[in-house]
Amino acid sequence: MARLLTGPRAAVWSSLTAIVMTLLTAGVLLLVMGRNPAVAFYSFLQGCGFAPKANYGGGSGMLSDLFDFLTYLAPMLLASLAFIVAFKAGLFNIGIAGQMLAAGFLATVLAGYNKTLPSPAAKLIVVVIGIAAGGLVGAFVGYLKYRFNIHEVVSTIMINYIISYLTGFFINNNYVDMMTRTSRVCSPAARLCLTNVQIGGVNCKIPFGMLIALAAAFAVHFLFSRTTVGFELKAVGRNAHCAQYFGVRVGRRLVLAMALSGMLAGLAGVNYYLGYTNTIIPKTLAAMGYDSISVALLGSASPIGAIFAAVIVSIFQQGANYMSSMVGVAKEIASLITGILLLYASCGTYMKIRAERVLQRAADRTRDAGQGGSGQREEA
Amino acid sequence: MEKVFTDGLSFAMPLLIMAVGAIYSEKSGVTNLAVEGFQGFGAFIGALIAVLIMPFFPKGSQTVIYIAMAAAAVGAGLYACLHALLCIRFQANQVISGVVINILAVALTTFFTSAANKAITGTSSNKLILDVSARFTVPGLQAIPWIGGFFRKMYPFEIIIMVLVLFFWYLMNKTRYGMMLRACGENPQAVDAAGGDVEKTRWIAVMISGALSGIGGICFAYSLLANFSPSIYLGYGYLAIAAMIFGNWKIGPTALVCLIFGLAKSGGYQLCIAMQLPSSYSDLFLMLPYILTLLLMVFFSAKNHPPKAAGEPWDKGRR
Repeated sequence: MARLLTGPRAAVWSSLTAIVMTLLTAGVLLLVMGRNPAVAFYSFLQGCGFAPKANYGGGSGMLSDLFDFLTYLAPMLLASLAFIVAFKAGLFNIGIAGQMLAAGFLATVLAGYNKTLPSPAAKLIVVVIGIAAGGLVGAFVGYLKYRFNIHEVVSTIMINYIISYLTGFFINNNYVDMMTRTSRVCSPAARLCLTNVQIGGVNCKIPFGMLIALAAAFAVHFLFSRTTVGFELKAVGRNAHCAQYFGVRVGRRLVLAMALSGMLAGLAGVNYYLGYTNTIIPKTLAAMGYDSISVALLGSASPIGAIFAAVIVSIFQQGANYMSSMVGVAKEIASLITGILLLYASCGTYMKIRAERVLQRAADRTRDAGQGGSGQREEA
Repeated sequence: MEKVFTDGLSFAMPLLIMAVGAIYSEKSGVTNLAVEGFQGFGAFIGALIAVLIMPFFPKGSQTVIYIAMAAAAVGAGLYACLHALLCIRFQANQVISGVVINILAVALTTFFTSAANKAITGTSSNKLILDVSARFTVPGLQAIPWIGGFFRKMYPFEIIIMVLVLFFWYLMNKTRYGMMLRACGENPQAVDAAGGDVEKTRWIAVMISGALSGIGGICFAYSLLANFSPSIYLGYGYLAIAAMIFGNWKIGPTALVCLIFGLAKSGGYQLCIAMQLPSSYSDLFLMLPYILTLLLMVFFSAKNHPPKAAGEPWDKGRR
């Protein structure tokens, strides 16, 4: 165990440890509440289309659940990539939810309500608006940090609430659907998924976001492993003074990191609001903005790790409704499990330190044992 | 006009006690972005205890509020141990830890609020309904023109918080423990060399921070919202952190900033009413404290002197 946590695949093993610990904790919690954890965990999988449900409504099936899951997974992965890009440069983008909302709102208003745009053009415009809106908010945060030394956690939270109230105001005044009290649904032409596709006799929703998200994951991986800019961003994150010393323009890199992060968050936003939900609840920030932090940390801030981590967190979030109806535990337990996961994931460094200490002690012991004979002689 | 002062003070006081909590933690060298989580968790424990004991008291009894306050302080203080554990013992990144604490607090309280509601009342609501604290008016002082509003319709907790803030100002600036705490945030090696226990001092500071934030949270729940629900997470914890930053980690100036925040919030709200705008416009005025925070930060952030060792885990072996 200790060897695994210090070996070359340490990040993977510490994430797996976090997952096992979380499942154990959640299992105990479910047991205490008098539920069968195995049934509960299985129903999470059923809710996401990984396992067949007992019965299905008309026109839906396991495949439609699976595609719904992918529709949710895409923005989750993008949002966690947004966190990762900033995190690598030493910044904490806690404002992903706000950037998502800004992008989703602008795209909905500018393209989603435009009935005349043909489908491919509308979708392209939505993506461009998402990237631009998120990127601008992100760059603004980066600029505040670089120019005025404002801690990005505080500024992003303030901007989150400002965006939330501002968009809420416009939705309530101009774009509200009187029945649902949310924004009017956007036109199918602008949505980033194909709806009502018949596959094997069931209705499916095919998200384009999944392609975008996977492409983004590999792009971010490429950025940090193969390019100078990525290296400079990492250098700023590790030690800004040192980076400045060998010629990196730290301020510009900070702004760039936040802008890239914002762009990814904006992409997540359009995929969430114009793919997954199709409507915006006024004055509500998507919980996904915060869940993405769990995903990023669980994936050890690696873009490829984030793909797997996003699947795991999304299973809990997306499968919660079905689990709740089957087992009778409030669906908010999904957020609780995500929170516990985040807690264990953030202990990764400590696990590593402990493991190193255990190995060190073991090494000392074998050395002592090997020198045992000579040691006694010296004492005598 | 006087209502601006009345409401402004009742918003500023819980904010101030949270900011004082944040100052304690940061002055001891532990970056504290977890205020939001502490206040929510404290409010949840306080509200839960209040709902549980309410049947044993006559309706509208004020004793419940004080018990809830104590429970909130204890609950949030214990919850803060998690932050201390992560930051001090596990040497985790303190900013990450703060974010973790906040997210976990939202998840924990949301889930257990519905669970508790189901167990106590049998309904699946996500709110713990509380009473509203009684108010009182200070005779004499309330007749002063303009600022008389400060002394009208006060909540009892405002007095409690003022006393607490004075006490904690004294503890920080005039006692041996306070000096050690401040030294831990500037130069922990020196404290260690002088025979002080850095880890213990920081643990206590973080727990104080949690307890004070918890009091702030239950005051919000008992005055502004009259219930506990996940909507308590309005970012007020972050406003408190912002107030601390403008206040340059000093309790006196921080109090002033909190008051400005409070007045901006109530002033905006009253302005909205005075201009007879439709209620949906109130959203625009609710943005005011957040915008003001950003603006103030633009002007004041660069000149700040945060505690030198804040954010760095204490490593005895390092020089």
